[in-house]
Amino acid sequence: MTQQRRLTRIAGLLVVPATAALVLAGCSGSGSRSGDGNADSFTFTFATSNNLESPYEALAKAYMEANPDITITTNPTPNDKYGETIRTQFQAGNASDVVQTTPGSGDARGLVPLAEAGFLEPLGDTATSLVPSGSEPLFEIDGKTYGQPMDFTIGAVVASMGTAAQNGIDEWPTTMDQFYAECETLTGQGKSMLALAGAAGPNAGLTAQGIAATRVYEVEPDFNTERAAGDTTFAESTGWKDALQTIIDLKDRGCFQPGAEGGGFDAITNGLAQGTSIGSFIPSGSAVEIASAAPAEANFKVQPFPAAKGEKPFVLASSNYTISINAKSEKKDAAAAFVEWLSTPEAQEKYYEVSGLLPISEYKNLDLSDTIYSPIVDILAEGSYTTLPNNVWPNPAVYEALQVGVQGLLTGQTQIDQVLQNMDNAWGE
Amino acid sequence: MSTTLRSGQQVATETERVVLPRRGGRGRRVPPPRRSGQLKFGYWWWALPGIVFVLGIHYLATGIGGFFAFTNWTGIGAFEIVGLDNFVRIFQDPTKIGALGNTLFLAFGSVIISNILGLGIAVGLNRGLKSRYILRTLFFMPVVLSPLATSYIWKFIFDFNGPLNVILRGAGLDSVARAWIADPTWAIWTVLVVLVWQNIGFAMVIYMAGLAAVPVEIEEAAAIDGTTVWQRFWHITLPSIRPAVAIATTLGLVNGLRVFDQIMALTGGGPAGATENLATQVYKQSFALGNFGYGAALALLLTVIILVFAVIQQRATAERPEEN
Repeated sequence: MTQQRRLTRIAGLLVVPATAALVLAGCSGSGSRSGDGNADSFTFTFATSNNLESPYEALAKAYMEANPDITITTNPTPNDKYGETIRTQFQAGNASDVVQTTPGSGDARGLVPLAEAGFLEPLGDTATSLVPSGSEPLFEIDGKTYGQPMDFTIGAVVASMGTAAQNGIDEWPTTMDQFYAECETLTGQGKSMLALAGAAGPNAGLTAQGIAATRVYEVEPDFNTERAAGDTTFAESTGWKDALQTIIDLKDRGCFQPGAEGGGFDAITNGLAQGTSIGSFIPSGSAVEIASAAPAEANFKVQPFPAAKGEKPFVLASSNYTISINAKSEKKDAAAAFVEWLSTPEAQEKYYEVSGLLPISEYKNLDLSDTIYSPIVDILAEGSYTTLPNNVWPNPAVYEALQVGVQGLLTGQTQIDQVLQNMDNAWGE
Repeated sequence: MSTTLRSGQQVATETERVVLPRRGGRGRRVPPPRRSGQLKFGYWWWALPGIVFVLGIHYLATGIGGFFAFTNWTGIGAFEIVGLDNFVRIFQDPTKIGALGNTLFLAFGSVIISNILGLGIAVGLNRGLKSRYILRTLFFMPVVLSPLATSYIWKFIFDFNGPLNVILRGAGLDSVARAWIADPTWAIWTVLVVLVWQNIGFAMVIYMAGLAAVPVEIEEAAAIDGTTVWQRFWHITLPSIRPAVAIATTLGLVNGLRVFDQIMALTGGGPAGATENLATQVYKQSFALGNFGYGAALALLLTVIILVFAVIQQRATAERPEEN
């Protein structure tokens, strides 16, 4: 064998382990365990769904400005794949030091299953003190808090009062009779009272929950607890039947835009920005984004959906976003200091300024009389709100059954009893 | 006519006589035989990286995924082996049976329509037409475009306020206009339309390659004998392109069984599950709902279905020995 052939064989034999090493290095390097070698630097993963500046990005920048020796490496992750992304990273051991999560277990990014699997680090007293009263099961396991709430999101109708006024609606309707009357007036003008993204499950689901706030939770505030205990079911609940019947009535009375059952999120954005719809069930923070695309006179306000006869207005209001620390983080102290800072008035005001979402610890101190929240200030003060129900439900399948069910009701594929039965079946999974 | 080339070997045509190598012909030197040990080592040596990649990335990963089909893993934390429970649940759930039906409908619908239209276009653009090169490019273009991007364009076309309904209303057919992708009856057909539109070009290219090998002389001889166009197509062209039919239908069927992008972009599986197929259910169960074990069972079922249909289809379109 010649010298050249021997060298070729040796080089060839090295190809396999070298290639394997490169591949494995590539795999392990795809995560982001730590910001850099600095002991005070760390990584931060959060969800993002548009090209506007994320409030979490803004908070990270503000923290770095206040602490020049600290570097935060941010990992904005697409919102639609966020849950599965962080689950995969936690499972692989390469999740960021600080991770945005959601309360409860009704979502793939829910902190309860992540904490139960040992992926999250218990947080300190500050996080515990921020947990809204009555919502402890969404944030805590065995007395330990695993997510620090960030926001106080309102789930109600975000309505353009400017568009309403242009169409002769000077006051937001407070009864269903008034609401249906306005629907019929607008239908004649080729417009609609509500824009609905019927083909987008999350909007169909939020609409159903927003209506259920007045029909179910105003009457039975402990419905979810009773359902968990097996004392009631969705199928037995007259409130839930009424809520789903209201969706059918809204459709039949022309309150949704034509073709609402096939609408996507663009139907809401275009409808509200162009003034062909008055309002929509969307998270209150989204009003800020839509307002940027609408004319200045649009005048968006968060309005309560009319209650059923004899009942009082009730809205959804809860923390939907939390911040957690990776249990395997090597920078826990730096991460904990950052999470602690997020609760300060300075950070909370920055969060409100960028996101439009009410901050969890500061919203009670804010003057909301001249903001989009002005119509519901009294409702919040009276405590006439409930947490987002699907955060409390035991698994994402229950909410999925509701979303699919609402689509089916809009198209006539399913009946109310069938939808509620499917939700009960999903609860048991 | 046959020509004896060398002892015991006969060739049928002049072409074969020229092409087939002769003993000592063209002065090509036969290399001395290598020692068997060196030869075997050389094979392994160069194939090993590829074998490692294929085994590790494809078969090992698929095997592990198949294992999870028999567990209740949620995607995080511990799991238990649950035997065939996941498969029992699949066949007891009407929505999964519906998804299986949609999978087969889309696969067979797209493969049949795409291949008939693709073959028709290929025959039409095979010879003669002056603009055939431009038309071939236009018909093939959907194949190279992103399924996701084109599906969003189709979604706009099928939208309630989209161009299709504008045309229908303009033609006075207001009662026909509807939210196509949210219509329980028509939504699955919109998916089929997009699939066929995107697959026609692929089938066309395969058939054009097959048609290029059909001897013109035979068709001319048949034409002189007084056969009709349909007779020539049925008795000469189609039997001649049987391998192309086998490839086009097999690939079309496999792609049709696992279609995902178009459904997710167009309907998301809606309305109320009317366009769900096994692939979208695999995704939703595994990643959206955190039922990884159940999703793996659906994926395994889909793999078996693809395998079975691919084998049946290959057998059905294989050339029979007597035709060789």
